[in-house]
Order: sequence, then C-alpha cells, then structure tokens
Amino acid sequence: MTETPVTSEMRANRLRAGLKRRYAREGRFKLYGLLAIGVAVGFLLLLLGRIIEQGHTAFYTHTVTVPVYMDPARVDRAYPQGTNFELLVAEQQLARMGIADDAQGTKAAELRGLFSSELKFAAAERIQNNPNLIGQTVPIAAPLSDDADLYFKHEISLDTPADQRRLSDEQIGWLDRMQASGQVAAHFNTGLFTKGDSTEPELAGVLGAVVGSALMLLVTAFIAIPLGVGAALYLEEFAPRNRLTDLIEVNINNLAAVPSIIYGLLGLALFINWMHLPRASPLVGGLVLALMALPTIIIATRSSLKAVPPSIREAALAMGASKTQTVFQHTLPLAMPGVMTGAIISMAHALGETAPLLLIGMVSFIPGIPASLGEPTGALPSLIYIWENASERAFHERTAAAILVLLAFMIVMNAAAIFLRRRFERRW
Amino acid sequence: MKFNLFRAADGTEGGGSPVGPPVIAAPPVVHGSAPMGPTKIAARDVSVSYSGKQALYDVTLDIPDKTVTALIGPSGCGKSTFLRTMNRMNDTIPGCKVTGRIDMDGEDINAKSVDPVLLRARVGMVFQKPNPFPKTIYENVAYGPRIHGLAASKSELDSVVEASLKRAGLWEEVADRLHSPGTGLSGGQQQRLVIARAIAVEPEVILMDEPCSALDPIATAKIEELIDELRERYCIVIVTHSMAQAARVSQRTAFFHMGRLVETGDTEDIFTNPRERRTLDYITGRFG
Repeated sequence: MTETPVTSEMRANRLRAGLKRRYAREGRFKLYGLLAIGVAVGFLLLLLGRIIEQGHTAFYTHTVTVPVYMDPARVDRAYPQGTNFELLVAEQQLARMGIADDAQGTKAAELRGLFSSELKFAAAERIQNNPNLIGQTVPIAAPLSDDADLYFKHEISLDTPADQRRLSDEQIGWLDRMQASGQVAAHFNTGLFTKGDSTEPELAGVLGAVVGSALMLLVTAFIAIPLGVGAALYLEEFAPRNRLTDLIEVNINNLAAVPSIIYGLLGLALFINWMHLPRASPLVGGLVLALMALPTIIIATRSSLKAVPPSIREAALAMGASKTQTVFQHTLPLAMPGVMTGAIISMAHALGETAPLLLIGMVSFIPGIPASLGEPTGALPSLIYIWENASERAFHERTAAAILVLLAFMIVMNAAAIFLRRRFERRW
Repeated sequence: MKFNLFRAADGTEGGGSPVGPPVIAAPPVVHGSAPMGPTKIAARDVSVSYSGKQALYDVTLDIPDKTVTALIGPSGCGKSTFLRTMNRMNDTIPGCKVTGRIDMDGEDINAKSVDPVLLRARVGMVFQKPNPFPKTIYENVAYGPRIHGLAASKSELDSVVEASLKRAGLWEEVADRLHSPGTGLSGGQQQRLVIARAIAVEPEVILMDEPCSALDPIATAKIEELIDELRERYCIVIVTHSMAQAARVSQRTAFFHMGRLVETGDTEDIFTNPRERRTLDYITGRFG
C-alpha cells in the first residue's frame, strides 16, 4: 500500500486552514469575554442608575422661613420650650394669608402639619439664647414636613385623587402661596449628614449610622487584622506540617463560607448573653464582624505569604537571619500589599454585612450618635434595612441616599486599599 | 577571558589521593604562602534523605581552606544537597534528615551546641539565581553585619559595606548609587552584590550553588575572576554544571553521581587522569 507523499504545498495549506480555525477560536473567546463584561457593566449601571434616580432627591430639601411675632402673652420667658410655638406660628401664618380659622382651629392644625417639629425647637432656642426677642418679630427657618417636601419634589401631585394623597387641596394651596411669597427655599440637605436617625424623615440623617459603622470597623480592624495576620504567619511560616495543621486549614476555609447570620447568632450568644456586653453597641458589632473577617484575612495573608519567592527566604536564612527575622524583615514586608488588600476587602465586606447586626440588636430605632464603643448605635446597613421598611414615603428616597452613602464609604475604603497596595508594593 | 582548562595546581598535597578518609591533620599552611590550606570541613559518611527518599549516600570528603573546591556531576546527583548540609540549610526543608558527621575546624556543626544561625554567619552562601533583597544596595550589604551586630557605628558599617563591595568588584559600578534598589542591577551585578552581602559578615566558608548558571559569559567571567580572588581569604565550595568552569576556577574537584561521591582529587588530575570510568564518561560528555 502506498501513501501519497505529503508535499510541502499540502503542508502549507493544512497549516493555513488550522491557523484560520485557531484565530476564529481566539476571536470567539474574546467576544464571549466582551459580552460577559458588557452584561456585568450593564447590570451595574442599571443598579447604580436606579439607586441614584431614587436617591438623588434626598440630597436636597425644602425649608420654610416664617416671621414669628414672639407674643409676650404666649411665649414663656422662663421656659420657652413649653410654648406652643407650632400653634402660634400656624395662627400667625393663617392671618398673614388672610384665612379665617374655625372655632376648633382645624385649619391651624392642618397648617401645622406642613412644618416639621424642628420649627418649635428652633424658635425655643432663639428665645432661650436671647429672651429680649420676646415682643419682636423674628424670622425662623425650619424644614418643611416630609409630605410638604415631597410636594415640592413633585412626588405628590394634584393629579392624584385627593383621598389618595397625604396633602389636601387646601394644604397644597397654602404651600403654593408660601412658595410664591418666597418663604420656601430649596437647598442642600445638610441634615442628612449631620443628624442621627429620627422617626420623622425630614429630620432623619445618616450620621449616627456612619459613626456607628466607622466605630465598628475600627474595632473589627484592631481585632481581626493583627489576629488574622498573626495566625496566618504562624500557620504558614512556623507551624509544622501535620494532620492538626491540615485540619485547622480546612476549618478556616470552611469558616470563610459560613453564612453571616450564624456569626450573628454566635455574637448574640457569646458577647451579649454570656459576656453581657452592651447590646447594639459598636463593640459587639465590631467583635462579630471581626469573627467574620478573620478567616478571609487569614486566607488572603497566607496566599500572599505563599507568593513571596522562596529565594528571598533562603537568602535571609543563609545570611544567618533567624526564622523570626526572616519572616518580619523579608517575608511579611513583601507580602504586605496582598495582606493590605485582603484586610481592606474583608473590612469592606464587613461594612456591608447586615444580618449579624440585626441579630445583635441594631434592628431597633436608635436616634443618637454614638460617642463611645459601649453605646447603642445604628449601622449603615441596618439603617438601610430600617428605612426601607418604614411606612413614610419620604424614607424611600432616603433609603436610596443611605445606600449611596454606604457605596461611597466602600469606594473610599477600596481606594485606600489600592493606595496602600501601591505604597507597599516593591519589586523583586 | 583566557580559557585555562588546566590551571596549574601548585598545592602541596599529593595529587589524586584515592577516595576515602584523607589526612585530617594536614600541616597548617601559612596564609598566602601556599594556596591550599588545611582541611576546613571534614564530612564523614554524610547521608541525606528527603521524607524517606535518600538523596545522598555516605559522602566522605575533606574540603581544604583557601581553596576552591568544585562539586560536579549530572543533575540530581546530590551535589547541591551536599552543599546545603554545610550550612545546615537543609534544616529549613521539612522532612529532610541528615546523618553522618560534618566537622568544621574540628567541631561538629550538627551538634546541639551549634546554633545554625551562628553557623550561617561563618558559612556564607550564594545561590543559583541572584537573590538580592528588594532593598537598596547599601542595605543589602549592611544586612548581615546589622543582624549579627558586627558594626558598632554607622561609619564602621559604611566602611564594611565599602570594603565588601570593593572585594566583590562592584564598588566602582555602584559607588554613586548605593541607595538605589539592588534589584535594579543587572544579573551579573546582582550576583556580585549577593557575594558582597555574603562576605560582609567575614565568613570563613563561602558556598556557591551554580552561581553563574543564570548569567551571560561576560558576567560569568567576572564572577569567576572574583572567585579566584576570594580564594586567598576563604574556603570556597562551588557547585557547577559546567565542567569548563570547574576546571577554570577550582583546585579540587569532587564528582558526584546518583547521590554518591564517585571521585575526588586535584582538579588537574580529575580532568586529565580520572581513576573512575564514570568520571571519565562524565567529563568527556558521554552522559550528564
């Protein structure tokens, strides 16, 4: 049997055909990659766009300025907080607009509903600071109530049937008149960033939650990073390789996959019920998040220690450096970028954790801004959870705003991770 | 560089002493008068196994001071393993077991009383791939004196660094950039930097594990010249794959094969008149 000899021309043709197939395969693979990235970016933009669309209105708010005649007959000089400023202001405003009230004061009550309770506190504070204002007319500025604010943000409109909206035709008419007279001004919602939580949306801010989250992260970082890096250093550089260390390694990997709610239960049982640490405090929150972050930090640190070229270790050992000197003078500094990245990413993860926080009591309404680790506090993710479940409509835009604040917090942390990575990175 | 395959060995020891326990009590040689010194390291029945797999069988070898001893042999013959027993670098490998006795100046280096950290201050090592620390040139050289507390002051440290770099033939090239990273140097310069780092602690022995295998011929020539100069002060043991290099730089050669020491003797004799068939086959390129 004879075979036709393969000529060089045939070989060249086969090569060409094969080459075409190879390039086609490469092209297809690149296309899949682009598609995958396109889908991912698309969803991300959709999500961000939706949140921004919902939340951007929360960043500005409307304030009303009313001239208040500090009627000496009604303002209590000794105890201005006891004065019913709301009624006083409403009656004066009605009079200014030339509207007569009925005997029960129904219209004054309806008008009062358009102002936030902040008005009363602002007026009382002015008198408290300067009792001589009694008898004079003083302009007082305060936020509008959440519903009035929503009207100016076009969230409540006259097109909706009157029985299905929270403002009556009359109230809307008053709002229009106050705006026409220049009493209503839109401005940046500083309160959102300078106030703690409140049951009234127009007075609610994220500061308490931001401070709470920051304090928790501080606790987490101070506990989880030294402990995690230390554990990883020991396991990777010092521990003998045997069954026990293998078992520990498997368990650490498993712990990294345990659902966060389990850590919440553990924290509840261990820190609150057994150690009697204060409920809903940044201390307990930080401890629970530290437990959660530990496995991730250990795994990240170990893998970056593994990535340090053995030649550096050998060089140091051969120079007569002790094991500890080798680890702390050479291996760890070289692993530092990876350690930093791992630590900060796990911190960012901890920042967004909600379930364990709800279990340790952060689901409750906590209006204050924590000043110490032992005080009850809210946290950004739990605040988002609480606001999302609130019945007032004005909380919905604030939920989206809180999400944006949380995302900004995370972006800052990740930027810090990149910065630190660059800073510590050394070539070898 | 002149290819000097058969360097004149003007040693006092008789050429081609048979494999076996050589004379330990060689007469002390006054420094400089004769290139080959007394026995610095005496290995007796050294065996090494990695997790039960034996890599080295009963090696008995004397390494003279102020001499370059080349360990040659095909890949996996145990020459690097043997080299690493001399500064106990094998201790760092889990599952590695060393038996037998290695004496340095008559003292068992594997004895409990000998701290491997101190031993490594006396026995420097240069690796196959240049491995300077990712620090400045200065810091690289100053590292050893620093961790061993050898320099009492900054100026003393400066002079140690300068002397070491000079001795390693690198001073001229780096004097103006001592504080730039050592990793920015070329491969050959890095290897000389590593040698400077090793000699900064004034070791007695320098172990070199294929120090030129990652370098080009010009850099190799420089390192070889350097080794030749260093021989006057140190006991040097070099593992090499290149027979030509062994012939050029060493006075003594030990041929390893399959984990056993096959033959040892003056380099000239090994290369011109090997006693073992396997040595002849290897040096003539029939295997390896």
